[in-house]
Amino acid sequence: MYHVLLTNRYLTTRVIPLIAVAAVALCVALVIIVVSVMTGFLDMVKNSGRTLMGDVVVSYPVSGLPHYDRLIERIGVLPEAEAATPLVDGWGLLKMPYPEGPDKETETVQFWAVEPESFAAVTGFRQTLYWRPPEAEELEAMGEGDFRRDLLDALGEEDLQRVYEDGLRLEYRDAERRATPGVVLGMHVSVGNQRQKDGSYRPILGPRGYWWMPKYEVILTAVPVDSAVSIEPESAALRVVNEFVSGVFLIDDKRIIIPLEVGQNLLHLDEAQIVDEDGEETGFIDPARATMVLVRAADGVTPDALREKVADAYEEFRGELLADQSVSLEVLPPAEGFGAVVQTWLQQQQQFIAPIEKERELMRVLFSIVYLVCAGLVLSIFWAIVYEKTRDIGILRSVGASRAGISLIFLRYGAIIGAVGSVVGLGLAYLIVRNINAIHGAMGAEAPRWLWVSMFVFAGLALLWTLWRTRKGLLLPVVVWALVTIILLGLGIALFFHKGTLIWDPSVYYFSEIPNHLDPFTAVTTMIGAVVFSVLGAFFPAAKAADTDPVKALRYE
Amino acid sequence: MSDVATDQRERSGDATRSRGRPASGTLLSAVNLHKTYRLGRVDVPVLKGASLEVRQGEWVAVHGASGSGKSTLLHLMGDLDRPDESGGEVCFDGRTINAMTRGQRNRYRNRSIGFVFQFYHLLPELNVLENTFLPALVGLTRFGYYAHRAEIRGRAAELLAAFGLDHRLAHRPRELSGGERQRVAIARALVNRPQVLLADEPTGNLDEKTGAEILDLLAEQHKNGLTIVMVTHDRAIADRADRVVELHDGKVVG
Repeated sequence: MYHVLLTNRYLTTRVIPLIAVAAVALCVALVIIVVSVMTGFLDMVKNSGRTLMGDVVVSYPVSGLPHYDRLIERIGVLPEAEAATPLVDGWGLLKMPYPEGPDKETETVQFWAVEPESFAAVTGFRQTLYWRPPEAEELEAMGEGDFRRDLLDALGEEDLQRVYEDGLRLEYRDAERRATPGVVLGMHVSVGNQRQKDGSYRPILGPRGYWWMPKYEVILTAVPVDSAVSIEPESAALRVVNEFVSGVFLIDDKRIIIPLEVGQNLLHLDEAQIVDEDGEETGFIDPARATMVLVRAADGVTPDALREKVADAYEEFRGELLADQSVSLEVLPPAEGFGAVVQTWLQQQQQFIAPIEKERELMRVLFSIVYLVCAGLVLSIFWAIVYEKTRDIGILRSVGASRAGISLIFLRYGAIIGAVGSVVGLGLAYLIVRNINAIHGAMGAEAPRWLWVSMFVFAGLALLWTLWRTRKGLLLPVVVWALVTIILLGLGIALFFHKGTLIWDPSVYYFSEIPNHLDPFTAVTTMIGAVVFSVLGAFFPAAKAADTDPVKALRYE
Repeated sequence: MSDVATDQRERSGDATRSRGRPASGTLLSAVNLHKTYRLGRVDVPVLKGASLEVRQGEWVAVHGASGSGKSTLLHLMGDLDRPDESGGEVCFDGRTINAMTRGQRNRYRNRSIGFVFQFYHLLPELNVLENTFLPALVGLTRFGYYAHRAEIRGRAAELLAAFGLDHRLAHRPRELSGGERQRVAIARALVNRPQVLLADEPTGNLDEKTGAEILDLLAEQHKNGLTIVMVTHDRAIADRADRVVELHDGKVVG
C-alpha cells in the first residue's frame, strides 16, 4: 500500500516527473501526428481515386474498346454493379481565353470525355462542381471574402443554378436554349483561379472583370492516333460551363471534362466507315470506341468482388466480339495477366499509392526510434530520481519494505508517467492534427507585427528580471531567466525575419490540404507503446533501487 | 500517553506469556559478530567478535568512540546489514535472524524492531502523520489498508499526540525543528508496537536541552516496558541507560 502513497507523493510534489511526463507526451504527440498525417494522406489518395473513377476500371488505352455499349449492357445486369460509364481519355492543348490581346496562353491538359449522366452516377463528379448555388448552411460557413458570395449577388440564384446544371450536362445553353458543347475545367487549369487562405477560390481581376472561366470559350486541340499516314491534329471549340475541385492537385491542375462525342471525334474513335487503301468504302463499320469503362459497385460490394464479376463479363464480351465476324478487327487483350485491363481503383492508382504506403511504413520505422528515445529519457530521468531517493530507499528498507516492494514503487512511477504522458500527448496531437492546416497557414504567412514586437517586449522584461535576480546572489534563477530571455529574443528575431514558408506544396503533395484526421489505431498503439517503454525505462532504475544497500543508503546524507 | 503506555505493557506481556519465558530473559542477542568492510583494496575489520545480550525490558547503551563500529553493531542487530560469512549471528526471541527467509526478515524489521537514527530520516514528501504510519502501511496490502485505515491513522495520531505533536500532523518534516523531527521518528519506530527500539545516536544532532527531552521520552517508553538498545559516543547520555557497555577494538567490553 505504501507504494501507492509514495508514488503519488513523488509524482505530485516534484518537478522531475513533470519533465518526464512532458518528454513522453512530446514523443507520443510526434509519432501520432506524423503517422496520422501519413495515414490521412493515404486515405485521401485512396478516396480521391474512388471519387474520381468509381470502383472498377476496364481500360484499353489508345485503341479503345469497340462496342463498349455491349460491355456496359453486360455490366449493367450484374447485381454487384450500380452503374457503368464509358470514357475516352487523352492529352491535348487548351487555348485559354487569357490574356487580353491576340496571343493567348495554352495549357497542357488531360481530357476525359464522358457521358455526363452516367459519369455522375459512377463518380463523385456532381459533388466536385465548384460553381453552384450554395445551400443555406454552406452560405453561412462561407467567409465574407468568398467569391461564391459575390457570384450569387451578381448572378442571382437562378443563373447560378443554370451554371451548375450546364456543368452537369456538359453543354452550354444560350438564351434561345441552343446547346453548344461545354467543358468543365479542373480548378487549377486556369492560372487565373487563386486559392484563398480559407480554401476558397477567387479568379484574378482583369481589365474587363474577373477571369471567371464559365463565360469564356476555349479551344481544345488533340492528336488522334489512327491508321492515317500523316497525323493531323483536331480541334474543338468548347464553352467553359463550370469548374471542379477534386482536392487532388494533380487532377485539378490538369484534367478537363468534355462530352464523350467531342472526345471521340478528336481522337477519331467515333463510328466510321472503313475504307480500303484506295479510299473505297468496304462496307464494314468501325464502331465508336471508349478507352475506359468505369464501374461503380452496389452498396456493400467490395471493389475486389466487383472486379471479378466485371472481369467475367468482360471475358464474355470479348468472346462475343471474337465470334462476331463483322467487328473482329483486332484481338482484345484478356482481362487477366499481362496487360490486364480490368482493375480496381486501388490497382489503377497503385503508382500513387504504393510509394506513399512505403513512405508511411518508413516513417513508422523511423519514428519507432522515438520510442527508444522515450525509453531512454524515462530511464535517465528515473535514474536521477532513484539517485535522489537513495536515502528514502534505505529508510523504507529499515521499516521492513521488501526489495520487490521498493522496485514496484519505481515501476508504478514509470507506468503512471507513461500513462499520463501518453494521454497528454494524445491531447496535444489531437489539437495539432485538427488545426494542422491553420498552423501551416500561419507558418506560411508573414508573422504579424504584434507577435514579434511582443516577443521583444517579453525578452526585454525577462532581461530586466534576470539582472534583478543577479543582485540576489543565487545562480540558478539567473541561469533560468537568462535562458528564457535568449529563447524569447530568438523567437522574436525568427518571427521578425519569417516571411512565410509553405511546407505543404500542393504541387508536390497532390492535395491542396493537409489531412487533419487523427488515426485511432495509431493513437492507441502509440499510447500503449509509450506506457510499455516507460515501464521498460523504469526497470533498470527499479532494479538498482531494489539492490541498494540500506546501510549505505542511510549514510547517504 | 497512558493509553499508549498500557498498550505497550499489554503487548509485551502477551508476547512474553506466549513464549513462556520469564520477563527478564534474553530477547535480542549478538553472538561473536564479525564485520569487515572493504575500502578499495583494503579490508577494514570493524567488528571482531562483538557479543551483546539484551534482556526483555532492558535499556542498554553501547558506548564507544566514533568509528568504533557502534552503528554497524546496531545495523547487524536490526538486520539492515549482515555479518561476515560465518561471522557470528544475531538471535531474536530465540530465532537466528541469519537463518530466516527474506520475507521473515522484512517482517522482523517491520514488526519486531523500530529504528531511530541520528539524522531522523523522515521522508520529505510525506507529512508528519504519514511518516508516522509508514511502517504500518508497509506490512499491509491495499485491502488490508482500507480495512484498518482508521485504526492505523488513529494509532499514529495517538502516538504523535502523546509526543506533543498533535498540532503538526499535516506538516512536512522540513517545517519541523530537530527535536520535533526526532519525536516523529520515534513515533514512527513505535507505530507497529515493536519489542525493541534500536536508537543510533538519537540525540547526536540536537542541542543539549532538546536531546534531554528526547532521552526523557525514551525513558518513559522504557518505563512502559520497551526494550531499548542505544548507541552513543557521549558517556553522559549513555549513563541514562540501565546498563552501559563499551565497544572497543571491535569487541564489546564491560
